[in-house]
Amino acid sequence: MGLRVRYFGQLQEITGKKEESLTGVFGTIGNLRAHLIRCYPGLEKIHFKIAQDNTIDIDSSEVNGTLIDLLPPFSGG
Amino acid sequence: MENRYQRHLQLNEVGPSGQEKIRKSSVLVVGAGGLGCPALQYLTAAGVGLLGIMDPDVVSPSNLQRQILFTENDLGKNKATCAKAFLSKINSEVEIIDYPFALTHENSEEQIAKFDLVIDGTDNFYTRYLISDQCLLLDKVMVYGALYKFEGQVTVFNYKNGPSYRCLFPSPPKMGAIPNCSEIGVLGVVPGIIGIYQATEALKIILEIGDILSGKLLCVNLLNHNHTTFNFPKNSVEIDAIKKQQKVIPIENQDCFVDFELSLDQLSSKKKILWIDVREKEESPRIAHLNVKEFPLSQQLSLEPFHNSEEQIIVFCQTGLRGKLFVQKLRELGIQNCFSLKEGAAELSIWAEKNKD
Repeated sequence: MGLRVRYFGQLQEITGKKEESLTGVFGTIGNLRAHLIRCYPGLEKIHFKIAQDNTIDIDSSEVNGTLIDLLPPFSGG
Repeated sequence: MENRYQRHLQLNEVGPSGQEKIRKSSVLVVGAGGLGCPALQYLTAAGVGLLGIMDPDVVSPSNLQRQILFTENDLGKNKATCAKAFLSKINSEVEIIDYPFALTHENSEEQIAKFDLVIDGTDNFYTRYLISDQCLLLDKVMVYGALYKFEGQVTVFNYKNGPSYRCLFPSPPKMGAIPNCSEIGVLGVVPGIIGIYQATEALKIILEIGDILSGKLLCVNLLNHNHTTFNFPKNSVEIDAIKKQQKVIPIENQDCFVDFELSLDQLSSKKKILWIDVREKEESPRIAHLNVKEFPLSQQLSLEPFHNSEEQIIVFCQTGLRGKLFVQKLRELGIQNCFSLKEGAAELSIWAEKNKD
């Protein structure tokens, strides 16, 4: 099953991408996070959240959505 | 004369009873910057009964591109005080209090307790976590807004027992991991739009109308008009951990504590400076050739004389640490012309010797 992964804020600069498609079986959100950090080591220092199908989810949840969004904290004001 | 709130009164969702709710409400805006300025402007126009404005910073030229309450005449003056002067002209019925100092873990309980709701218009994680934790402990609603370049985030925390900031981001990022506007730049209108979103949520909460962004993070990208709302759940473990502390504990990421520190190489020796030595009398070296007032902290002397100082006040100690805390205290008392020295007394002593007449 293909995943559409979108990057928000600073994560677009770290990955060099606005979004991409991923194929593969990741199991949990935590495994998906680890996979993305292996692809883009710069992600490791950011405490980003992962949403699937517009709900922010915890690392122990199964990946069962098709739209994945990576959301970093913002500090600007 | 026509009622200034006529357009509110015409709405079924507001009407006279809604306008009365607005008049009876009180809102604290922490940070009178890119987010705070537009939020304050609309809340003042809407007739919020009591508005608090907290900001320790002074207006600088690079603020004028987006911080729309300030004029060129305000350069170098405190933001909270200037904002109050501007807003008072929009609506004299609103009681406005300016707090020209920072929110700290020492004053946050007292300051936030006075208001119904807090708008987070800050630009650093230190204050964001502080507002969040204190609002959680005092059961106050926090309207959050933050941005990165052309993107913004908006949500409402602690609304009717809803999620808090720590449910979204349990722990702050390491210092320097996430840049702020002053480091990366921002298109001026972006905080304007996000700040108005925050004012909108504040008014809806006061009026008890519509759907509130509680448990929902609105992410707006103004370059491509992608607006997405993400649901997020309450995390009782995080909330209980803060509640158990009973008081706020400052986070380690002190990304805002750089404002009132001056380094010796920023000073010209000719400038009139009143040096305040907060060390105890037995600490050495003592400083010669400078206009020094000794003010040992253990003696708990009156701070009254500092109020009318026409000279710039620079506080120093052995390492810079006590000076920093003392300056924060002076600023909380409304004394704005004071800074702490980054270096310690030993470096100052050498500098004074070198710069003597």
